[in-house]
Amino acid sequence: MNKTGFSLPVLVLLALLMWTLAGCQFTQSPFALAVSSAGAEFAAAATTLSYVHSGKISTQYARASFVNYRSQLDGLDQQLPSQQGASGGASVAHLLAFYKVAIRAVDNPCLEASCNWQAQVAALNSASQAFLKAAGS
Amino acid sequence: MKKVFAIALGIVTAIGGFLDAGTVATSGEAGAKYGFGLIWAVILATIEIILLVEMVGRFTAVSQKTYADAIREKFGFKFYLFPLASELIAESLLLAAELGGVAIALSLLTGISWHYLFPVAAILVLILVWSASFDIIENGPALLGLVTLSFLVGVILLGPPKLSLLQTLWKPPIQQGQFADYLYLVAAILGATISPYLLYFYSSGAIEEHWSGKSLLLNRVTAIVGMGFGSIGSLALLILSAIVLRPLNMQAGTLGEIGLAMAKPLGIVGGYLFAVALFSTCLGAALEVVLAVSYNVAQGFGWEWGQNQKPVQTARYYAFMIVFLLVAVIIGLLGIDPLQLALFASTVIALFLPVSLSPFLFIMNDPAYLKDKTNGWFDNTAIILILLIAFAVAVVSIPLEIITGGG
Repeated sequence: MNKTGFSLPVLVLLALLMWTLAGCQFTQSPFALAVSSAGAEFAAAATTLSYVHSGKISTQYARASFVNYRSQLDGLDQQLPSQQGASGGASVAHLLAFYKVAIRAVDNPCLEASCNWQAQVAALNSASQAFLKAAGS
Repeated sequence: MKKVFAIALGIVTAIGGFLDAGTVATSGEAGAKYGFGLIWAVILATIEIILLVEMVGRFTAVSQKTYADAIREKFGFKFYLFPLASELIAESLLLAAELGGVAIALSLLTGISWHYLFPVAAILVLILVWSASFDIIENGPALLGLVTLSFLVGVILLGPPKLSLLQTLWKPPIQQGQFADYLYLVAAILGATISPYLLYFYSSGAIEEHWSGKSLLLNRVTAIVGMGFGSIGSLALLILSAIVLRPLNMQAGTLGEIGLAMAKPLGIVGGYLFAVALFSTCLGAALEVVLAVSYNVAQGFGWEWGQNQKPVQTARYYAFMIVFLLVAVIIGLLGIDPLQLALFASTVIALFLPVSLSPFLFIMNDPAYLKDKTNGWFDNTAIILILLIAFAVAVVSIPLEIITGGG
């Protein structure tokens, strides 16, 4: 016990609490973090699709990558509306509209030349830009 | 001639074995998110690991004891349980990430989901630790790991970076709200490079290879040249990510994404080279982690140990290996992405560094073990400073990352 009546562990806990609260100023909100990560994953998916069709990576590499992108984006549509820091219903609905189109490309990426992969790249890029913009706003 | 060969092999395996899931994940994400703004952390971590590896080799060569032996002997069994507990927690997470790295590498080569390949990776590691000699485990994956030098080729082929990217070297592009994430990556880079398992592995390996006072030159050259050049792979990967992934708005959130940075300068070969590099470095690291923790436990509890002995002669040592591997498999089967797991494991390692390495500093200053080869003031000061930095950034960033859902 010191003169103020607080024991050392209490002081340490108070310091940690203050530190955590102060930390809010240099951390992103869970919403901004989720949106930013999703935007980056859509960008990665668009690049992967472009690379496989320009012969820069193998089909196997692309297929394996898309499995991982899907895992990263899984459940985002359910999480976003309830995330702390979500900026209004309209904004979330706007993002989810992009998400619905882009996630179809992630689920069924067009890895052969016979389908319209350019449209998928465009959808993924649009979603990426929308999400990254929302993360920065 | 034999000595020259031993030194050359030591350097080559140190270079090839430098990277692992943690260093690949942290370098890739650091470059993609912050350009060159975390190169300083990679250099700081490299200096630290050079110092630590040189010290532990010197300690074992002079004292003929392993690090775990010395902790138990000097501080008692009860104290030994603290660094052991921190090792078991941090390294089981890391082993799960390494197995995930092997699975992702096989997945990138075959197109099969890594979830199915994760048990294959675990079985491969089990077979190797059960049947291979120490030399094969130490040198095999590390020699294959020399393919990581292709990252440097990729950087050269990409040409000089833009001036705006170069400026991130001294002015990291940290956006508002990203500072905690930046610190988290600093901690992860330090933890990924300065993994204490290396000390247990290196000191036990020195005993397995019968090092003596005559091995001090080999030890010093391997530590300085091998680890120094080994960090080239890490730096090259960071630079590749900064040049290729950052302008494309990618954050290297998965291991496969990092390989795309190699595909730009080297085409389809680049993707294969990245997958082979990931496979060999994660396999090598997984084997070393299993051995290091098993060595640690066996030495601490006074069991028979040794990779060059048959399982029947060192039954408890081999039995522990299986249990430890099983724990990592259970963690891996939770389905956490290997890159995220590697980042988290590396940050946890940074958090535990003072617990893991403080006893080492006391031992390195004890003439009863090292005679006239104890640490100088520079070694002690550098180690303490870097440990404190790693601990401070870890203790600050881990809670914040967890609160915001980023960790």
